Amino acid sequence: MLRPIYYVAKATFHEAWRRRFLNGILVFAILMIGSSRVLMYMQPGAELRMLVDIGLGSIRFFGLLIAVFMGARLISDEIEKRTIHTILAKPVSRGQFLIGKFIGGVTTVWSNIAIMGVAFYGLVRLTAPRVAAAAEGESWVYSLDLMYGRVLGSIGLIFLELFVVTALAVTFSTIFSWILATISTFFIYFVGQMSEFIHQLADPERGATPVAAIVLGTIYRILPHFEIFDMREAILDPARPLPWEHPAKVVIQTCTYVVVVILIGYLFFNEREV
Amino acid sequence: MCFRIRRCCAIATAIRTENLAKLYGTDSEGRPVGLVGLTLEVAEGQIFGLLGPNGSGKTTTLKLLLGLIFPTSGSGEIFDLKLGSPEYKRRVGFLPEGPYFYDHLNAVELLRFYATLFGMSGPDLEKHIQELLELVGMWDRRAIRVRDYSRGMLQRVGVAQALLNDPDLVFMDEPTAGLDPSAQIEMRNVILRLRDEGKTVFLCSHLLKDMEPICDTVAILSRGTVRRLAPMSELLSGDSPRYVLTVAGQSEQVQSRLASLATEVRPREGNLEAVYEDQGAALNAANQIGAAGAKILHVGPERRTLEEVFVEVVGGE
Repeated sequence: MLRPIYYVAKATFHEAWRRRFLNGILVFAILMIGSSRVLMYMQPGAELRMLVDIGLGSIRFFGLLIAVFMGARLISDEIEKRTIHTILAKPVSRGQFLIGKFIGGVTTVWSNIAIMGVAFYGLVRLTAPRVAAAAEGESWVYSLDLMYGRVLGSIGLIFLELFVVTALAVTFSTIFSWILATISTFFIYFVGQMSEFIHQLADPERGATPVAAIVLGTIYRILPHFEIFDMREAILDPARPLPWEHPAKVVIQTCTYVVVVILIGYLFFNEREV
Repeated sequence: MCFRIRRCCAIATAIRTENLAKLYGTDSEGRPVGLVGLTLEVAEGQIFGLLGPNGSGKTTTLKLLLGLIFPTSGSGEIFDLKLGSPEYKRRVGFLPEGPYFYDHLNAVELLRFYATLFGMSGPDLEKHIQELLELVGMWDRRAIRVRDYSRGMLQRVGVAQALLNDPDLVFMDEPTAGLDPSAQIEMRNVILRLRDEGKTVFLCSHLLKDMEPICDTVAILSRGTVRRLAPMSELLSGDSPRYVLTVAGQSEQVQSRLASLATEVRPREGNLEAVYEDQGAALNAANQIGAAGAKILHVGPERRTLEEVFVEVVGGE
């Protein structure tokens, strides 16, 4: 049962790495991360903040592009290009095919993030001690070990965040054409960034009507809460609270959300005519 | 030996459908579009041709049989298993029309990928892949990526992937379309070889000249309905009692003698063909013409071409 999943995933991974478009995004991301070493001096006194903002921001942004543009094409392209016909005519169930495509897509996204993450972490380890040494005696001396740990934690959260994004993109690609799947995924991503704001809007004490409270409350519960994956603020300021209480809880919640999203994708894909 | 087995035992059914329908709405005249209630049985070990004009429902039928789309109504079984079930797909091969494959792979990588979906691996697989690529004449071109293939190369590799699992039943959608004449002959030979090995071949095509010499049984589909379903020999001989006398050459003298006795005289492939209302008249004419020195090539029941039958069945649709 797992064998077809593995081979579909492997083929998906290899195919994705041969796409020049995705390779181009990775190269550009590495260039952006590298350029943060220079751009950080644009804000004297806040070099590390600039370094972290540009570096992590680049990983997140370019990782998002890879996850959406690749994920949204994973199933729809197979249907539009008719490559799916010869695969589903073999002893491969639709469920196995979908999970294989998703795993292949996620491992592609994660391997891209791993390359960007290694580049950025290496840059931070090289740059941060010098900046900290230059700032010695001033009021904003960072705890470097804490910072390194939180940089790694941030990269880990990007892995989780793009896990969710890829799942959404793949699920939309079982329903829509790749263009619509791309738009839908970006839409959910950006609305998901505002989930706390939607939560506040749904509060009757803040003037929400009962109907609005129910609608917005439901949207809040369904939407992925992407804020919990962003801990950039807490990297340089140990006093800042993390956006979640326990890391394990974030991992479990994320995995549960992904499973539900993929299950919905399966329900659609199982009924879809190819 | 294979023949004796067929004679002494009940022939198993490879495909069975019962009022299988896939409707896509109605046309401007209110007629249903799609496949309208297909009922057929395909016995194992034969070449079955599903013929029909473009849009008659051939590819829809294939997709239904492979579980790629779902029926609006009716049912079907392949090797006694419900349509769409992954179990029968272990015994099935499929060559789609104008096959589409992962174009970043070469022929060997592509076959290796498909083979893994059947759980095949190891040195035996590599040997099997080589045999298949040699069979379809692609071994010398195995390193070329699919994206650089011509239509003919795609079709050849498509055949190879359809035969990877040594299937008992092979579905082929327009297998000879887009091939040059020699490749068409090769393809027909491959299909005949499959039947000789005891496999069932289900062909969908509108290229009647390619289907006529190889199909054992034919269903003619038009507007989603089976208009004729019969063994090829029965279909071509028809119900006509008429006999045909074929004489070598097209000399005017022979032609005028034939015309005096026959219902109809027509030139065919450099010879003359005279049609008679019954066997006696044909034999009588053959004796007279033969005595006059003309070379008699053939006397026998009138046999139509598949094209003629097709036009008669489908008409102007």
